[in-house]
Amino acid sequence: MRVAHYLNQFFGGIGAEEHAGNKLEVRDGAVGPGKLLESALGNASVALTFVCGDNYAVEHQDELTAGVLAKLRSANVDLFVAGPCFDAGRYGVAAGALCRAVQQELKIPVVTAMSEENPGVDLHRDAVYIIDSGTSIAKLRDVIFKMAALGNKFLTDSPIGLPHEEGYFRRGWLRDQLVEQKAATRLVDMLLAKMHGKRFESEMPATAFAPVPIPAAVKDLSKAKVMLITDGGLVPKGNPDRIEGTAATRWGSYSIAERDDLHGEEYEVSHGGYDTRFVQEDPDRLVPVDAMREMERRGVIGKLHDEFLSTCGRSNPLSNTRRLGREMAAKVKQAGVDAVILTST
Amino acid sequence: MQLTLANHRITDLQFGTPARLDGTVLRVDTDILRRAVLEDKAFAAVEFEIVHPGESCRAGPIFDVIEPRAKAPDCGVNFPGILGAASTAGLGTTHVLSGAAVSILAEISPDLTRSATGRVLEMSGPPACASDYANLHHLLIVPRTQSELSRQAIEKAYRIAGLRVAVELARIAAVEAPESVNQFQPIGPAEIGREGLPRIAYVGQIFSRQRKPEVDEPILYGANTDGMLPVMLHPDEWLDGAIVPSLHSWFGGTETYFYQNHPIILDLYRRHHAREINFVGTIATIAGADNFDRDRHCQAAANLVKWNLRAEGAVLSKYGGGLPHADLAETARLLETMGIRTAVMVSDVSRDRRVESALLFNVPEVDAIVYNGGNGMRWELPRVERVLAATPQFLDLLSGPMTIDAPNVIGVTNQQGASRIRAMVY
Repeated sequence: MRVAHYLNQFFGGIGAEEHAGNKLEVRDGAVGPGKLLESALGNASVALTFVCGDNYAVEHQDELTAGVLAKLRSANVDLFVAGPCFDAGRYGVAAGALCRAVQQELKIPVVTAMSEENPGVDLHRDAVYIIDSGTSIAKLRDVIFKMAALGNKFLTDSPIGLPHEEGYFRRGWLRDQLVEQKAATRLVDMLLAKMHGKRFESEMPATAFAPVPIPAAVKDLSKAKVMLITDGGLVPKGNPDRIEGTAATRWGSYSIAERDDLHGEEYEVSHGGYDTRFVQEDPDRLVPVDAMREMERRGVIGKLHDEFLSTCGRSNPLSNTRRLGREMAAKVKQAGVDAVILTST
Repeated sequence: MQLTLANHRITDLQFGTPARLDGTVLRVDTDILRRAVLEDKAFAAVEFEIVHPGESCRAGPIFDVIEPRAKAPDCGVNFPGILGAASTAGLGTTHVLSGAAVSILAEISPDLTRSATGRVLEMSGPPACASDYANLHHLLIVPRTQSELSRQAIEKAYRIAGLRVAVELARIAAVEAPESVNQFQPIGPAEIGREGLPRIAYVGQIFSRQRKPEVDEPILYGANTDGMLPVMLHPDEWLDGAIVPSLHSWFGGTETYFYQNHPIILDLYRRHHAREINFVGTIATIAGADNFDRDRHCQAAANLVKWNLRAEGAVLSKYGGGLPHADLAETARLLETMGIRTAVMVSDVSRDRRVESALLFNVPEVDAIVYNGGNGMRWELPRVERVLAATPQFLDLLSGPMTIDAPNVIGVTNQQGASRIRAMVY
């Protein structure tokens, strides 16, 4: 088994900050901590070592990545290891980016290590196994052994354990596993631990999202162009954009020009998550064109935009809805709309 | 109230006459069962099959799985409000054929967008290791309903036929002495002799108003739950036929067998018997259709737990799809603000397998969450020796080899405690 290793100028033995501008160098065999890595891995040798200055790495990340990938394409290695980087920010950012690229482009497994505060962690933890190194270089040996243990799992195609078992930062993914105890028993166990003041661990961490700033109020509603958008799945009969009734990947834009009122026989509802019969009966209950036209006539709003946007919000993962939202927002902007009413179910 | 389960362990099912229990072997007379099913004019014909654990056999889609049970004479009605008068469930003795099940096939796919195959009973291979149902001897009902019935009418006919056959089957054993007897100890808010033990309640959703129930849809003592407020039930009522799943079982639903062996209630009973806890009772509730509905239900449920059951801790589980997570979290939040500690169980909603998509609420007080899995597990199924289905289309669809998602193998996933699949965070 052959391993490639990436180090910065300090761990590569070139020198400290004054050498941070050094370009990428490729050396045969193990360098510095690579020797310890080799002995920790046991059955693998460090075939080549990349050494690069921290400044050069972050200022020329694309060239660095291209250089490493080019070399690796012909190097026939089974594992790519970067660091450990501890709390060295530039080192961590470069190592994370390299690991991500090597894994994605060359399908070679990767391992790196950083401290929690290292900006490389949040940038790359979703894609890469990053061992928690802590900040103390005195722990180098322990960290290298953890990296080697994880690396050996890749080399032997063994299942990768959970974050606390392997020592890597939680990547933010789920994987299904058959466990010993049924959920009912785990539930009562958790309650009793909580009641007795014992340590318990919720099986799912709370998810917090950055607050969305509230936009400035519409200056004069009586002159504003208003658009209706729904995630309740209302589509013209025949569902021309084939918007899925679960986890929709598409959205549609449908004309309501010259319509004062929506009629059920011209629409259908692509949504499996609520009782759609009432919307089917009268689509204005979901996309209130009738009420908006009334406001238009009375001058409460300037104009109702002549298309409404629709998708289905059922069981839709965020990775999907973010894209749908961005696409819709671009459409809204392009239409010169001043205000949007979002209706959900 | 005190329920006694008279257990008759079943190690084999066979067709034959006369119907009788011979040791642990149950002989089944199909003529009697056929008459029981065809009493309902919704059926044009019916056949029966027997499948065994470990057999190279696949059957589907399964509409329901029922544990064969029959009330002993003078102990009440089987599935009260559905098969007979709505008298109280959970009293006296009920005979149980443990190790056996009655399962009914469907002629329709439950939900085309999510599972064309419906839920499949897989009796061998890795999926069987993940489903309790693969350990049972099943009497399979293969129905043929009359044409031109509404979907609702067909599903209701399936429900009743399954229950009827299950009761008929258990009646065969009811004349014999049981192999073992399982008597539940008294529970209740005022039960004496348990001072100092933590007082624990269970709050379970039995329906979600994401869909309006049909007028004649039997759920709680035969009622469709429309307009109901949370209600206190004795745990034995859950176990003894007071509750069956809503008809659209695919809608985050479950099986009758689940209620008969309700894993949360049985776990609380186990600890009650071990004197770890004082099990003070249960609340059955439903998830609301809108915010008013939700507030009404959540507050009523929390008030019952606090003031009627006087619980110190509560476990909560949900029914249905995404929306009921809100009811679950709000009820737990209210309980926590009343000083009652809670743990909740949610279903797996992360379709991209990202942690950020996993929870539908973020309520700081609701900090003890059990997370079921299933969206990330699938199997490659080989051809099997026996495929059983109610229509040629399903026979063809299920013949294999095929890829199947874990939620489409019956008994593998369950959002109320019966599953061992957990989505681990990594």
